[in-house]
Amino acid sequence: MEKIKRILSEISIHFLPIIVAVSCIFPLLWMLSSALKTQQTVFKDMSLMPKVAHWENFIIAWGKGGFSMYFLNSVLYTVLVVVGIVLISSLAAFAFSRLDFPFKDFIFYVFLAAMMIPLPGSFVPLYVLLVKLGLANTRVGYCFSMINVGLSLSIYLLKTFFDKLPRDLEDAARIDGCGRIGIWWHVAFPLARPAIGVVTIYNTLNVWNEYILALIILQSKNLMPLQRGLMVFQGAHITEYPLLMAGITITIIPILIVYLFLQKFIIKGLTAGAVVG
Amino acid sequence: MGFKKRGAAICLVVLLSFVLIGNWGCSFNKIADSDSVVIWHWMTDREDAFNTLAAKYEELTNTKIKFELFTPSDVYSQKIIASAQGKTLPDVFGILGKKRDAASFVKAGHVLDLTSYMNEDNDKWRSMIFDKALSLGEFKPGNVFGVSAGVYAVPIDLMNVQMVYNKSLLKKAGLDPNRPPQSWNQFIEYLKKLRANDIGGFASGWAETWLIDSFALNYAFNIMGEDKVMATIKGDASYNDADWIKVFKLFEEIRDVDGLVSGVVTMDNKYAEQLFSNEKAAFAYNGSWCVNVYKGMNPDLDYCAMMLPAVTRKNPMVIWGSAGAAFYVNKNSPKAEKAVEFLKWLTEEDQQVFLIEETVNLPSNKKSLTKIPKVLSQFADDLNSITHPNIWPYEESPRVTETFDKGIQSIIIGEKTAEEVAAEVARVKEKILAK
Repeated sequence: MEKIKRILSEISIHFLPIIVAVSCIFPLLWMLSSALKTQQTVFKDMSLMPKVAHWENFIIAWGKGGFSMYFLNSVLYTVLVVVGIVLISSLAAFAFSRLDFPFKDFIFYVFLAAMMIPLPGSFVPLYVLLVKLGLANTRVGYCFSMINVGLSLSIYLLKTFFDKLPRDLEDAARIDGCGRIGIWWHVAFPLARPAIGVVTIYNTLNVWNEYILALIILQSKNLMPLQRGLMVFQGAHITEYPLLMAGITITIIPILIVYLFLQKFIIKGLTAGAVVG
Repeated sequence: MGFKKRGAAICLVVLLSFVLIGNWGCSFNKIADSDSVVIWHWMTDREDAFNTLAAKYEELTNTKIKFELFTPSDVYSQKIIASAQGKTLPDVFGILGKKRDAASFVKAGHVLDLTSYMNEDNDKWRSMIFDKALSLGEFKPGNVFGVSAGVYAVPIDLMNVQMVYNKSLLKKAGLDPNRPPQSWNQFIEYLKKLRANDIGGFASGWAETWLIDSFALNYAFNIMGEDKVMATIKGDASYNDADWIKVFKLFEEIRDVDGLVSGVVTMDNKYAEQLFSNEKAAFAYNGSWCVNVYKGMNPDLDYCAMMLPAVTRKNPMVIWGSAGAAFYVNKNSPKAEKAVEFLKWLTEEDQQVFLIEETVNLPSNKKSLTKIPKVLSQFADDLNSITHPNIWPYEESPRVTETFDKGIQSIIIGEKTAEEVAAEVARVKEKILAK
């Protein structure tokens, strides 16, 4: 009786997470399955395991989508933008949290307000500004724009974290001879690792999957990110589903690795307020 | 001091990276390529064919043509608007959207008037292209948009929306596969028979309201004639009129015989195409692009295209059609002349035949029609019956159109009657007119 109770209890505890896990994993399996089918069988064969697996779809997708070049671009953009966001937002958040300067709250709220503006609403002014600065159709223009996109939320997250950081630690660092930058670098930044992990994951996903802003700012195919490769398979009327799915599978692998590598920081970041300092 | 050195080193690396990528990026910072005629488009399926033709043209004339693909189409539209504002439009570009969108580009001075080029050598260029196709990029004198009269767009290919039927399924239902329905009543009888044989009837992506709109307006033209449709849009006749109720009643009729596939009002056209290609529906209302789509989904599909079955012979049946792709030349481009020369060449017979073979679209060149696949030629047979809101003298208010389309969806799901929808649309129209 006790055993049955335990089993029932286990089932009731795990039932919902299993359902959620299956609903999360199923689309990925469907994507992989569709990537192994042909354009004809993808509409007819609804099984998860195709009778004949067309692994060559991955090679075709890689070549036809021009992924080699786009892949490098995306890696470059992701690294630079995420490093830029982490450095700038942690410095800015530290300043908002610890320094007193005129209009501090007002400037902070302006940053928060920027989060409310939908990206498409700023396309035209952003593009015109980049043209005037001579940065349209350049990597640097795109990176600056993407850093700008990611700053608001990152500053907000990190400021919340720094606000809860005990000031005693800073005093100790100051006694040891640290200036403001030194305190940020030696005390605040290392302690903020969980929050920085969240900022990194969030922005990595954001930059890796970004395409619309790239399409507006960049003209040259050589500068485009990875998502441009996927668009080759999607026409106005015809979509090459197997190649598209193969392409999507290729594009999510790096981000999956980053996510698996940094996932522990998400939990830490979410509970960081309780253990900060 | 160690942290200062490390901090400085990090900052230096980041700075150097930006300088590096800045220089790298700036080497591409020429919106208009100095050597090439740059063409922006959104057509993924035509990309390879365009590039092949560009290479061929370069061989022939030594003029470089560079096609740049930006997709999806909604982002492409944003890009074009942003580029117009930043004065960085390419030499040639496409404008998506309604005629008023094209009109705003023309009025802002971004588009070259091609009328004089069209009329050169006794209308040599103009006479090559289907009149209806040309009229889609043409503004007539006294047009409602206030644009100077002229031809502003070069249609590269065409599309129209008609009905297709599955021959095998008709045969299975005991119907003659070589005799598609000739009238609306016959069409309803066919649907009844298909239903009796447990075969899916009519499929269309009527979650995409423009498909409902075009289907209903085609029948409005047939039932009451073009003049009365235009009078209604202008505000001189009411949607509550008996003829409009007749149009709405058609949807009641098709619903009552259970002639539509399940979920048609929440179905996008891609799914409707899938149903037809998988032989789950005997009839579909779809554009000429479907030839290419069905070929990809089910190459063995045995089907034909047909004109919509008319309700009456009193007025001609019309179909919606427009330029599949149309290009505009940047008025401010130093390479405008070269661009016009290329577009002339692109619409010549040989290049049009090549485009048909590669993309299976209807050509804009009249002479190329003889070389198109059989089903496509059935779509082409009715090119003279094309109409489109972009060539009408009046434009319906989006609110009226929305009430009209949603009303039809309500009829199909049995929520409203034809009379109720007619009254509702008339009410919205009156409100708009009162403003």
